Amino acid sequence: MAGLVRAGFSFARNAIFSTSVRSIATTNPLNLKEIRERTEGSSIVIEAVNVPSPRTELLVRAENLPNHEPAVSPSEKPPCYMCALGLDVKHTDVLILSQFVRSDGCMLPRRITGLCRRQQKKMGKLVTMAQKAGLMINLTPGNCKKDPKKRREHKKFNTYFDERTIFMKKIPKPVDRFKR
Amino acid sequence: MSAAKRVQQWATFARTWHIFDCKWQDPYESANVIKKYLMGLHKPIYHPMNDCGDVVVCINSREIALRGDEWRKRAYFHHTGYPGGATWTLAWELHNKDPTMIIKKAVYRAMKGNLQRRHTMERLLIYPGETVPEDVLQNVTNQIRQTRLVPTRLDQIPEEVSKAYPKVMDYPEDYILK
Repeated sequence: MAGLVRAGFSFARNAIFSTSVRSIATTNPLNLKEIRERTEGSSIVIEAVNVPSPRTELLVRAENLPNHEPAVSPSEKPPCYMCALGLDVKHTDVLILSQFVRSDGCMLPRRITGLCRRQQKKMGKLVTMAQKAGLMINLTPGNCKKDPKKRREHKKFNTYFDERTIFMKKIPKPVDRFKR
Repeated sequence: MSAAKRVQQWATFARTWHIFDCKWQDPYESANVIKKYLMGLHKPIYHPMNDCGDVVVCINSREIALRGDEWRKRAYFHHTGYPGGATWTLAWELHNKDPTMIIKKAVYRAMKGNLQRRHTMERLLIYPGETVPEDVLQNVTNQIRQTRLVPTRLDQIPEEVSKAYPKVMDYPEDYILK
């Protein structure tokens, strides 16, 4: 009986306070949003406005390419979009790397980029390399020393990086050893 | 000897002047390239006993790029000869003192140590910036290809080009733009 009451309470609490599953919403919660702030007379209005993503038309996906071959076995998990594209990204490809960072130059987390673990790690290190080489100096916090020439000591000279140093250990591919 | 043959003879044994832009180049990689032109190894008439090396003018040596953390890891050793006279200068300290020294030492070390090396080094002219004396520049007839691509900074790319560039990542639907 006590278990039933506890279960009932937890169900009621979940129904009221749950934030992850919102079955009833007055606004459409799942849309790309932009926060705008404007002044109306003496009051400041802050609102979140749904905007279309500026990247949707320019998006490149491996399945949309003409000579795309899908994964051999359908039972396996499909690769993430960067693995499927198979691009050889260098740390000097700032036009690609700048898509993974916020406007202050921070790497976006994996739940937003949607990469696999390995690619997220690789992209994060490539972004760090590009920042250290001073190639993305317009994507920095305000108090940052933007121009590499204004940095101190060894940091003020040009530096390039070798992408082979990102994964020094050879990571084996995930294989199901017990599969028949 | 015909006139054409005579001109061919002059052209074969004349010293050619090459220019090399060190901007964003690794000095140790480019030393192996510069060395070949300095010693004349790129010529079919090369022989160690014939003096067929060319002149190489290096510009922008202040803008060289070292790999990874080599600016603070690579040390240049010098010993005065007196006890306790050993000094180790880091690469960035040496580059602060003399921006031509790293590329000079790199080319010097790339060549085999023999009696010719010091004379061959006399044919290497290094300038820290883009300003080269006019009497040097008017001799230059060839440019040596760079070993590494010079990277483009994101702020140097125009806004419309970076906006129209194909995108790989799209934001999730509930992302708040910043």
